[in-house]
Amino acid sequence: MSSKKSYLTDEVKALISVQGERVQVSPWGIEKEGLRRFCQALMDSDPRSWDEDFARTTRYGEIVTPAIYCTYSGRQTLAADDPITKAFKENPVSDGIGGVRSSRGSLPSVPTELKRVLNAGNEIELLRYPSIGDIIYSQASYADITEREGRDGSRMLIITMETVYTNQDRETLCITRASSIRR
Amino acid sequence: MPTAEELRNKEQFYYCDVEVGQELPTYVIGPITPTHLFRWSAAIENWHRIHYDQDFAIYHEGLPNVLGQGSWKQSVMPQYLKDLTLPDGWAWKVTFQHRAMIVPGDTLTCWAKVTNKYEKSGLGFVELEVGMKNQDEIETCPGSGTIVLPIKGGKPVPYPFKPPEE
Repeated sequence: MSSKKSYLTDEVKALISVQGERVQVSPWGIEKEGLRRFCQALMDSDPRSWDEDFARTTRYGEIVTPAIYCTYSGRQTLAADDPITKAFKENPVSDGIGGVRSSRGSLPSVPTELKRVLNAGNEIELLRYPSIGDIIYSQASYADITEREGRDGSRMLIITMETVYTNQDRETLCITRASSIRR
Repeated sequence: MPTAEELRNKEQFYYCDVEVGQELPTYVIGPITPTHLFRWSAAIENWHRIHYDQDFAIYHEGLPNVLGQGSWKQSVMPQYLKDLTLPDGWAWKVTFQHRAMIVPGDTLTCWAKVTNKYEKSGLGFVELEVGMKNQDEIETCPGSGTIVLPIKGGKPVPYPFKPPEE
């Protein structure tokens, strides 16, 4: 390792294993119409997700959703001001994300001067399919933060954020691990 | 993409049916259109304009066109592995990186190749190299995965799936 400055400071290391709040992902839980739209957009015509008679004959015994559906079931309630209108009032060239996405359950930001963020990959571990009526919760954590030296000798942080999705009975449905590079 | 009837009537792939080096059946998706991308954004309420606002994507962000969503790719890959394991196997894990951009007009092929197989706790674990290539053979989503297949005459793959103890 070169003698260059390390970005893996004690302050950064202290974030490893830090968890965000466990939050309810969707106000109404898993419901058929949202599932229909999701499956159609995914082009997943599996009758296990729409044909009740057939689903009853499978080992699941009921309609199940694509395993990863719970990670996209986040919906805004109507109680808050419309986030899109608000975002574009604040920034007429909003990219559609800034100020629009909910920050509930988010993790504290990593205290580093490294500003450039690159997606380093995703892992999805599937354990159980969500069922109609399930209330989905998510909880994020920093699973790991390491430092690596690039080919040009510059140092970078590799940040892995894990999110565990559970149902109302705290049964784990799926776990996602998203790694990003800060350089 | 398999039809509903193909998925309804799919015959089980068993652990003994796969060998290291074997290429598994592929999925062909597309050509992808801006309408597909918009439908995905609407379904998951992802309002990032690079996926449906062509002027914004090209003139503000300097992209070649509106882009296919990473979230769509990371949903298709588990779906592909799930369909391979139907009706009684389990797509346990998939890991991948986002590489080449997907743009309207692309036709995509999901693929998987067996890299390893082993039995554990009476179940058949099959490790895969996976990916999603475009029509020019450019890899958009290289990665790996693990599926669990029943062993002929053995016990059923548990549901909910319980990972084997290390």
